[in-house]
Amino acid sequence: MKQAGKRYWRSLDELADSPELRRRVERESPSLASQIWTAASRRDFLKAMGASLALGSLTGCRWPKEKIVPYAHRPEGRVPGKPEQFATAMELAGVARALLVTSYDGRPLKVEGNPEHPESRGASDAYAQASVLELYDPDRSKDVVLRQNRQRIVQTWDQFDAFAKAAFSELRRRGGDGFSVLSEASSSPSLYDMRARLQQALPMMTWYEYEPVSRDNERLGTAMAFGRPCRAHPALDQADVILSLDSDLLMNSPVAVKHAMAFASRRRAEDFRMNRLYVVEPVVSVTGAMADHRCATPSRLVPRFACKLAGELTSDPALGTAADKAALAPLLQQTLPAMPPFFADIVRDLRENRGRSLVVAGPRQNPGVHALAAWLNHVLGNAGKTITYTAEVDPDRPAHVDAMRALVSEMKAGRVDTLLVLGGNPVYNAPADLEFAQQLDRVKTLIRVGLYEDETSLACDWHLPQAHFLESWGDARAYDGTISIVQPLIDPLYDGRTPIEILATALDEEPRRCYDIVRRTFGRLSSAADVEPAWRRALHDGLVEGTRFKPDVPMPLADALSKAIEGIEKEGGGSDASPIEVVFVQDHSVHDGRYANSGWLQEMPDPLTKLTWDNAAAVSPALAREQNLTEGDVVRISCDGTSIEAPVVLLPGQATGSIALPLGYGRRAAGRVGTGVGVDAYNLRPSTAMYTRRADLMKTGRRYPLAATQDHFIIDPVGHEERERRSRELIRELTLAEYKAGPRQLATESARKPRFSLWREHEYEGHRWAMAIDLSVCTGCSACVVACQAENNVPVVGKDQVKRGREMHWIRVDRYFSGDPDSPSISFQPLTCHHCEDAPCEQVCPVGATQHSHEGLNDMVYNRCVGTRYCSNNCPYKVRRFNWFNNLKRLSDFQKMQLNPEVTVRSRGVMEKCTFCVQRINLAKIAAKNDRRALVDGGITPACAQACPTGAIVFGDLNDAESRVAKLHASGRSYALLEELNIKPRTKYLARLRNPAERT
Amino acid sequence: MIDNTADDPRRRAPLVLGEHNFATVTDAVCNIVEAPAPPKAWYVALAVSVGLTGVLFACVGYLIMTGVGVWGLNVPVGWAFDITNFVFWVGIGHAGTLISAILFLFRQKWRTGINRFAEAMTIFAVVCAGLFPAIHVGRVWVAYWLFPLPNQMAIWPNFRSPLLWDVFAVSTYMTVSIMFWYMGMIPDLATLRDRATTRIRHVFYGIFSLGWRGSNRHWHRFDRAYLLLAALATPLVLSVHSVVSFDFAVSLLPGWHTTIFPPYFVAGAIFSGFAMVVTLMVPARAFFGLKDFVTLRHLDNMNKIILATGSMVAYAYGIELFIAWYSGNLFEKFAFANRAFGPYWWAYWTMMTCNVLVPQLFWFKKARTTPWIMLVLCALVNVGMWFERFVIIVTSLSRDFLPSSWGYFKPTAVDLLTMAGSFGLFFTLFLLFCRYLPMIAMAEVKSIMPKAGLDYGVHRGHGQYWGEIPHQHNQQAESAAGPTGTAV
Repeated sequence: MKQAGKRYWRSLDELADSPELRRRVERESPSLASQIWTAASRRDFLKAMGASLALGSLTGCRWPKEKIVPYAHRPEGRVPGKPEQFATAMELAGVARALLVTSYDGRPLKVEGNPEHPESRGASDAYAQASVLELYDPDRSKDVVLRQNRQRIVQTWDQFDAFAKAAFSELRRRGGDGFSVLSEASSSPSLYDMRARLQQALPMMTWYEYEPVSRDNERLGTAMAFGRPCRAHPALDQADVILSLDSDLLMNSPVAVKHAMAFASRRRAEDFRMNRLYVVEPVVSVTGAMADHRCATPSRLVPRFACKLAGELTSDPALGTAADKAALAPLLQQTLPAMPPFFADIVRDLRENRGRSLVVAGPRQNPGVHALAAWLNHVLGNAGKTITYTAEVDPDRPAHVDAMRALVSEMKAGRVDTLLVLGGNPVYNAPADLEFAQQLDRVKTLIRVGLYEDETSLACDWHLPQAHFLESWGDARAYDGTISIVQPLIDPLYDGRTPIEILATALDEEPRRCYDIVRRTFGRLSSAADVEPAWRRALHDGLVEGTRFKPDVPMPLADALSKAIEGIEKEGGGSDASPIEVVFVQDHSVHDGRYANSGWLQEMPDPLTKLTWDNAAAVSPALAREQNLTEGDVVRISCDGTSIEAPVVLLPGQATGSIALPLGYGRRAAGRVGTGVGVDAYNLRPSTAMYTRRADLMKTGRRYPLAATQDHFIIDPVGHEERERRSRELIRELTLAEYKAGPRQLATESARKPRFSLWREHEYEGHRWAMAIDLSVCTGCSACVVACQAENNVPVVGKDQVKRGREMHWIRVDRYFSGDPDSPSISFQPLTCHHCEDAPCEQVCPVGATQHSHEGLNDMVYNRCVGTRYCSNNCPYKVRRFNWFNNLKRLSDFQKMQLNPEVTVRSRGVMEKCTFCVQRINLAKIAAKNDRRALVDGGITPACAQACPTGAIVFGDLNDAESRVAKLHASGRSYALLEELNIKPRTKYLARLRNPAERT
Repeated sequence: MIDNTADDPRRRAPLVLGEHNFATVTDAVCNIVEAPAPPKAWYVALAVSVGLTGVLFACVGYLIMTGVGVWGLNVPVGWAFDITNFVFWVGIGHAGTLISAILFLFRQKWRTGINRFAEAMTIFAVVCAGLFPAIHVGRVWVAYWLFPLPNQMAIWPNFRSPLLWDVFAVSTYMTVSIMFWYMGMIPDLATLRDRATTRIRHVFYGIFSLGWRGSNRHWHRFDRAYLLLAALATPLVLSVHSVVSFDFAVSLLPGWHTTIFPPYFVAGAIFSGFAMVVTLMVPARAFFGLKDFVTLRHLDNMNKIILATGSMVAYAYGIELFIAWYSGNLFEKFAFANRAFGPYWWAYWTMMTCNVLVPQLFWFKKARTTPWIMLVLCALVNVGMWFERFVIIVTSLSRDFLPSSWGYFKPTAVDLLTMAGSFGLFFTLFLLFCRYLPMIAMAEVKSIMPKAGLDYGVHRGHGQYWGEIPHQHNQQAESAAGPTGTAV
């Protein structure tokens, strides 16, 4: 790591001598140029550069600058140490997430959602939050590498350029014969443009696109229903009744943030009206946890359930034609092994809420189910109301798995001579049965562009470091088609290039710089008469107005239903092959494995299993009983001749026959953080579906220690019983009917007893900060956990320390199961420091290191803390975190660049905890004071609240009676946690509302 | 040998056995110190103890260099072995003060045979105890901030915190204990000085005997000072462990937050302190030939105290359980159910067995007067009392209010070695004491011997305290003896 640091600073010196820079300085300030290059002292150089940048800035546009160096003279309008925000976008699996990135002195430090963007509104997910850590990851690839005869030879870009010039001129001569590109999914118009140009130059080349986890089934299903692939846009805020068929809309969707936001808007019941969510799924998803009625059903039975439902619905004369009824008739005869008890309720609700209901199918379900869902939405009159469709940009693209299959057969046939792999990690995540990695030997030249020197790079001849999105120019489309410009916030730390630039190299044509290419594409796409202002505006806003796809309400084909049924039948929808299946899920932390080297994401507890640093086979308690498994037992899961060994985690609510196996672990070359973490489920994953039809489970007798932040099953009967009893007190829940019936006493009996304080109460003349957390809308997604980590320099401690109970998160999301372990109801409860009025921690600290501020914050004075840990022992919420070691000592110089300068870095031996983001409070207060205005409600948002997609966390001033938080505190749903202790917490929870169907 | 354990009301049992006069007492005690070389076994014991002390310092060094994380602590269990050991050692220290101060004020003459020994043990136990709060903090180098030292920032410690009270209580206790022990030792140190045959001894004992000449005026001052210190130390016996118990009682943790803690902790401390005295005394009196001064009667008396305080502790356990149920506080109820049947059930039942059942065996006279039986029983009581603190601290912390933050503490090797090392330190100091200082308070023992100029028939062998004025004594003796008494 030391080396890495040195290398970075050396690169500035190298920069000083680069011919390009010399050219630019000469161009921009010719008078200085002669002096600089003659007396090339570092100091002079910096002075001169500062001056030239300052001159450059006078034009008012910082964008075209591609070099970032420290200033010697401060440009006007720029205050060192004052954060600035820039809009950019992050592309994940071909869909852009619009972001607003905060930068301190040229270092991007904190990522938020772009408030201007309709898919974000300022909120974000854990992946976006953790992207800054990836930027500074010292394991990201730094060198152009050539692998020859098993030797790793470090090359320069010049050497690669020379190689590429020769290789591609040869390819051009052959018309691109034998040249293929394997790219990860991308929505970048510039990349499309470059691809088209390349296709023109090399007409015989082939282009494949592969993503291990995708929504291809939806494309295929909509193609079945409408005759062309479509993108579905469910509008959850419009639907009164939602049925999810194995769809994790609220977490694992490219627009999960938007969905969660829309869903939450119907869960607060401010007008005593709420939507109702039914979920039928094999695994426990975040969406399932939010459901009013949830039925655990194995994957292979979900299509049967959908058919049964369609049949039941069409028995209503108003729904479906005679032909439909005839098509569904045979399916009606089928029986389901586990019929959800609420089946009749779904049927009734869907019938009664035509045009206000919604049926969505999940990406794991086969195309037939998607087609059926599309048909159902049409028949129910939802199309155009609660769901719209847009055309796909690339309707002709084959499904990712088919593309991979085609490429492998080409490779097998020896028709691929040169393969350019753009991003992705196919050697690791291609379905094992396609044998992609084994066929790579047949390709003569393999060129790989990647962020990391990963499994794929190790199998390639050339590895080229890719620039991170925070250090490169680009463009990308959001799910609704809106284009965002990706703009860099920092010079490439490790000298990476973007795939667009690599394609420009292959084309060997000007312009080569990414900025110019993106700008050219923008000019072409822009309808504005004057492109420059439009470009500036796009950069400023983070989105290009008017580039949304046009919403459409296509009519289903006449034979949509029969095709759907046929599709379901073809996939064996009706068969009940084996009692056990394996369901592959996209991981909540590492996605498809791409974030395996992110310490923040690895340490983020899974929302449901609360597992960190591992994936595990989630089984239902019933299956565990049957197979005599306990948590941590290693099992051998085999199907179709392959097998993997994985530890077991017990997850109430799993379908009994389903084993959930998260993808993305067991990386062999992820970096220091991610290599060897967990087991590689891709080895088991077939190319045909995201679940296996049958699987065998065998106990190996070995055990594997898992690091979960919250135990569930490894617990004795005494503790189990008590947890059951307490969780009902800690998480208050109301049904909508109860809530409607009038104000209820939410406080427990003991909390209602009269209490008096031994202390003189605090008085607050100015502000009185407080928080309210709405349990009705918290989905447990854990974006807040990572956001807090990024904002507050919270260290990563590693699996061993988490196992010992020493995770450092300032906010945690507690998860409770209640009721029947095989069909539990699931609740989430985010917990931060409650900043109690009579804080027990303040009273017991012998040195007074934790104090009550005059605005009611419970302040932690790190300098004064001696580390007795008494405060933590006395904290009933256990939100205090102790620095058992010097946790930040291990950080490399690069990672240290990520640290937020507004927040103290804590040394070993001191206690820390949530501060309500006091640095943000003070920044806002200073700004308000400078502007001579009062603080406005909502002007201060802690990192957790800012990231939260559903707005579950509200922060504000209780002394302002009109503030949102004051109103929420006064709401009929509010209650304080452990109120009977009389410590008067400043955080209040709003009881969770559920809207179960009234049984008739 | 005379059986002085019999409680015959007609005859007072002699407290010094054997045909001893003043000279033989002096010889018996001083010979241990003056022998040219200690017995081989002493070297072996010292080697082991010093080795363990080395382990202690190695562990502490590692801890300070690396961080408190080398122990098995976590959130929620912020204290475990560290504070368990602290409370355990502070508790051990209680016997010394009780014997020297309270028994002195109650004129329990038998205390003279054991008080020096017990006081020494107190000081060594407090040394061990004091170590743990100092090293358990995250930043050892600023631990002095707990003291109210004037500083340029005008920052004071938080006087509401029981940990601060602890600092005052333990340091006061330490100071008074050392003063009491040292002052009581001055006449004996003077004896050793007077008998010194080497220059080093002469200088060493000479310095520490502070010019004691044994004049009447010296004795008179000594007497008054001893009485005053005893009066000063007496409340400390009760206060120190009360304050230590406030660390827990003042917090709001279920299982800690109870008003019974101060008396319960004091009883437990005396219980464990006496058990430790017996544990050390039984081998020491055999090994150094002190059976004439530390007689079975002494041991019997101590075992009776162990029985009494052990029963108080058992009562406290019972009351805790009763209140947990009777109060209707569900958190409290769970805390106790969890102790007995939760993941730390083994610790709880070890504690119950050793602290409740074992001392009840002292109802049997055989158990009270057979050295090997009492040695085993007292060792078990010590184990039980260590576990009592472990149970109180760790089980309460590991499962408090929110089930989501429940945890489990598992000691690391450093935890175990540090604890073992603290015993090494204790025994090292103890062995050095045995070798270099008078183990028995010679001057005090002489005062209760018949030869103390008080050879009255009825008082024969029982004696009077040497500090009293003779004519008063004569009046008392005459009136007590009645017409049949014969004055010499």
